[in-house]
Amino acid sequence: MAQAVEAAPPPQRAGRRATSQAQSVRRFKWLVLSPFILVMGAILVPVLFVQLYFSFHSYTIYLGNWWEAEFAGLEIFRDVLTDPRLGWAIIRSLLFATGSTLGCFIIGFALALLMYRPFPGQAVYYIFFILPMLTVPIVIAYTGEMLLYQNGPINGIISSIIGQDVNTQWLTSANLALTTVMLMEIWNWTPFTFIVMMAGLSSLPREPEEAAQILGANRWHIFWEVQLPLLRPVILLVLILRFLEAMAEFPKTWSLFQGGPGSATETVPVYIFLTTWQYFDISRGAAMSYVVMVLMIIIVLGAIRILRREKRSLDRMYEGEGTA
Amino acid sequence: MTKSQKRLAYSVFRYAVLTFWLAVVVFPIFWVVGTSFKPDHEWFAWPPVYWSQTPTWDNYLNVWTTFASYADTQYVQSLQKPWIALRNSLIISLLSTTLAVVTGSILAYGVSRYRILSEARMFQLLVLRMVPPIVIVAPLSLYYAALNLLDTVTGLVLIYYITSIPYAVWMTKSFIDEVPYEVEQAAEVLGASRWRIIFEIVLPLIRSGVVATFLFILILTWSEYLLALILSKSEVVTLPVELSKYQGSSEGRVYGRQAALAVGITFPLIIIGLFIRKHLARGFSFGMVRR
Repeated sequence: MAQAVEAAPPPQRAGRRATSQAQSVRRFKWLVLSPFILVMGAILVPVLFVQLYFSFHSYTIYLGNWWEAEFAGLEIFRDVLTDPRLGWAIIRSLLFATGSTLGCFIIGFALALLMYRPFPGQAVYYIFFILPMLTVPIVIAYTGEMLLYQNGPINGIISSIIGQDVNTQWLTSANLALTTVMLMEIWNWTPFTFIVMMAGLSSLPREPEEAAQILGANRWHIFWEVQLPLLRPVILLVLILRFLEAMAEFPKTWSLFQGGPGSATETVPVYIFLTTWQYFDISRGAAMSYVVMVLMIIIVLGAIRILRREKRSLDRMYEGEGTA
Repeated sequence: MTKSQKRLAYSVFRYAVLTFWLAVVVFPIFWVVGTSFKPDHEWFAWPPVYWSQTPTWDNYLNVWTTFASYADTQYVQSLQKPWIALRNSLIISLLSTTLAVVTGSILAYGVSRYRILSEARMFQLLVLRMVPPIVIVAPLSLYYAALNLLDTVTGLVLIYYITSIPYAVWMTKSFIDEVPYEVEQAAEVLGASRWRIIFEIVLPLIRSGVVATFLFILILTWSEYLLALILSKSEVVTLPVELSKYQGSSEGRVYGRQAALAVGITFPLIIIGLFIRKHLARGFSFGMVRR
């Protein structure tokens, strides 16, 4: 469908009208882009320069005016790049993002597989299942705390199911803290993978499946060899978007743990936040941000390449469906 | 096993799994709503109080009104009343969302009909949303401080505008792509201007899509925490930041109050979200998944 409407404006009779048409399109283009360019030019571009400035000048909050900070050359970058804490933070972030993405994906996909064919109660389950996604992340963090403290209801419930006292230290054990945040992230965002997989599954064409059935394939084969390849674009989309969002997760990690216990939950966003707003080391924070930004842009550009490819196959699928 | 037995077994299995997940989803929501009606001695009771014996409106009264019948000054005296935060949240999210959707949908029209942004540019737009905001937030706050934009509505609106634009453009474009071009061609032949075509033909045709986009972005802006936390100090505190102030105060945990505020913050989002539930997949996937 998208391709169908990308046709040039209707052909004009005279060449002159065509040029004036092209001119008016160009005028329209800049007019429409102007608010966007304006805001970007006024905010984002200067901010990137400010960031670069601080990465090369040593400055902390305690040192007078920031525009008089001392030039430090590449020293701050060297400092940041050899900082093992940043390395660990990156590893932690990657672990957190991978774990929560896989968790969301497996649960969401499983639920979607169970639900995409109509059955009594489908709509009710659907409505309840999307609720966590509509909840404010910071609310989830505090609700998590109400549920997970040592004498809290979650341990209470587990105790009464197992029949013996369980006192898992969800919030105070350094070994568990990152997992706790991960569980909250999974609770929060499984609805996202669920709804997208539902949409993907229910817009799959039926013919390949029916053909395979006629050829005598069992359900398992149909799933692995017919449905899964057709779902590839949707699956990649979900994994990529979820992973990137999880890399940026801040509200839950910060409000529950502030990086602790020890440094168990010190993910990249938390470490940058600590450096800048707790140690007030603006320069280090800026240089760190720069390093992370470059890293993330590389990851994002890679992700975008995949997304572009997969979007084409999605568009083809909706076109083939003819209802898009 | 016969075929019908198999089907029955599958059906039982399905309901069992789904109901288990239903419990996982509902229990935290039940708990936070329940806690918001509990008096303070039930907040941390052991064994946990699942169903309050003495439900009370005190938490709500205390958080949302000045007519608290109980412990008026006990927990909340140092806190800003949430109404101010509510007003800030409303103004900031409505303003930035409106700006993003209006400029974004016109841009989306241009992209859909005249390709004023190439496909590559459109995808580059996503970088704005996909790179974690934490990486620019420190220089942003210093830059804002220099411009006197720190702790102002304008400052937050501008940055939310930037982070919402990718969603606004992509989502509305996916709706505009579905409108057949013939209608506009006819209008053009009849001499309608481009702006008339946009405002009187295209946007009304995708009305429900525009509303969905608006509400979708509203949900995201309303719940945003990091930028709001850093770019506001005391004046334009938004609701999520206000909620975080109930944490770690010297009086200890105030779960009941927190819960009452949390319910107030989340309730409108759930209503909005359920209202646009058919478009959520499209929204979160930047219009790439259409359902």
